[in-house]
Amino acid sequence: MPLLELRNVRVSYGRVEALSGISLMVEEGEIVALLGANGAGKSTTLRTISGMMAPTSGEVVFAGQRISGLGPEKIVRLGLSHVAEGRRIFPGLTVRDNIMLGASNRRATRRELNADVEEMFALFPDIRPFADTLCWKLSGGQLQMAAVARGLTARPKLLLLDEPSLGLAPLIIQKVFEVIREIQRRGTTVLLVEQNANMALSVADRGYVLETGLLKLSGKASDLAASDEIRAAYLGGRAA
Amino acid sequence: MDIILQLTFAGIGVGSIYALVALGLVLIYRATNVVNFAQGDFPMMGAFILVVCLLSAGLPYWLSILLSLAGMVVFGAAFNLGVYYPLRNRSYLPVLISTLGASILVQNIILAFYGPQPANLPALLPFRGFQIGSVFLDPQYIVIIGVSALLVVLQYLFFEKTLLGKKLQATSQDKEMAGLLGIPVKRMIMLTFVYSALLGGIAGILVAPIIYFSITMGNAIALKAFAATIIGGFGDIRGAIIGGIGLGLIETFGAAYISVPYKDGFAFVVLFAFLMLLPQGIFGEKIAEKA
Repeated sequence: MPLLELRNVRVSYGRVEALSGISLMVEEGEIVALLGANGAGKSTTLRTISGMMAPTSGEVVFAGQRISGLGPEKIVRLGLSHVAEGRRIFPGLTVRDNIMLGASNRRATRRELNADVEEMFALFPDIRPFADTLCWKLSGGQLQMAAVARGLTARPKLLLLDEPSLGLAPLIIQKVFEVIREIQRRGTTVLLVEQNANMALSVADRGYVLETGLLKLSGKASDLAASDEIRAAYLGGRAA
Repeated sequence: MDIILQLTFAGIGVGSIYALVALGLVLIYRATNVVNFAQGDFPMMGAFILVVCLLSAGLPYWLSILLSLAGMVVFGAAFNLGVYYPLRNRSYLPVLISTLGASILVQNIILAFYGPQPANLPALLPFRGFQIGSVFLDPQYIVIIGVSALLVVLQYLFFEKTLLGKKLQATSQDKEMAGLLGIPVKRMIMLTFVYSALLGGIAGILVAPIIYFSITMGNAIALKAFAATIIGGFGDIRGAIIGGIGLGLIETFGAAYISVPYKDGFAFVVLFAFLMLLPQGIFGEKIAEKA
């Protein structure tokens, strides 16, 4: 049984249909990349999985339970954590507090929370010096680290990452993707949305390609990276 | 010199009341993005319950205060469920009109069942106050300043030191993201309304012995509290406190040195001046915090 399954999911913003029947699955332990151009429906897919949007038809099944329509507060308690587009770090709280609030989906004592935060600073040593800094003072890369750390503090079975490389310097992107591999090694499944298809396919096991609300292609990451169609459309390479 | 100390003491006392109501206004604004036009009815309601318990039912003062506080918790919860909650997914305007309607409704319900007569509440402490040098300290003002200062300190500790306080802050900064993390957003907003009503109720209980209870007593307080938040910087908690106390001082000194009949006018002259010259207020709105 896959950890996550979308069955013919349709989603609309008012009259505009953003997803026109998407079916995909994520197996436990995988990194799956969801690729596509701007406006293809990648973020909408993640928003639908985490309950920020309700599908007009179709269903989302997580760990054997139908979750479409449950709402984000309940879904995150089931172990599905969404690092949203734009990071969405609380600007008026410190890095430590932001990370700590990632555990709002479960009961934890203050001591456990402090241990969780320490664990995150071990995984992201770059933001440890800013533990008690208000987040509006942080750079984009630091915010991204804090956002991923906050998502992981929920101790999710499945982590949804929306454009973790957006707006970051190449060196920082490298670091973020190293962390994504490390997250997988620790046993968390990852569904990754990216415009940086090269980078995404280099860490992913499998990939899906979205185009204007429909799945165009799917397959092993290595096959997708080698396919001419992908290279031409999304990777900036020349078609043969 | 003595007269200045005397006026400062009174000004801080009155300003504390504005600050408490302004705090409640800011907390609701930050949690819901709506200015609550019924904020002045929170102190009126707190004072009204006190009047009914103390004067009509003849209960002891301490019990009347407890009942009034309990009543404000219920009132705040009912206000959230009846006025805000059904409209929470609409824009700010329907909610704003809804709060305006609630204010008219509450005042008229009391008018219908209790009547229009004002009530004179006895002071909380039975002694007459004392003299330090040539400054006379009225015990009710001492209570007002003391309780307000204590509330500000407790609120600071609650928001900065407790996990629940941080969840409330997170909710006011980004509701959608707070929900995505599993923070129970509806409960946080409920808590905000209850606390805000309680703050207003306490202000009403404290001020009623000084200014008489009347159904419309909250209107002037709410206007001053609103002016205080603009002077302090809208949406800023420090601004609400500084703005409230500043306004109390301006009003008191203005009445003493310029004109008593125009006492209420000074607050608004200052408000106009701020709107023209420094519209973001003393602390400004931290744009980054809203981004």
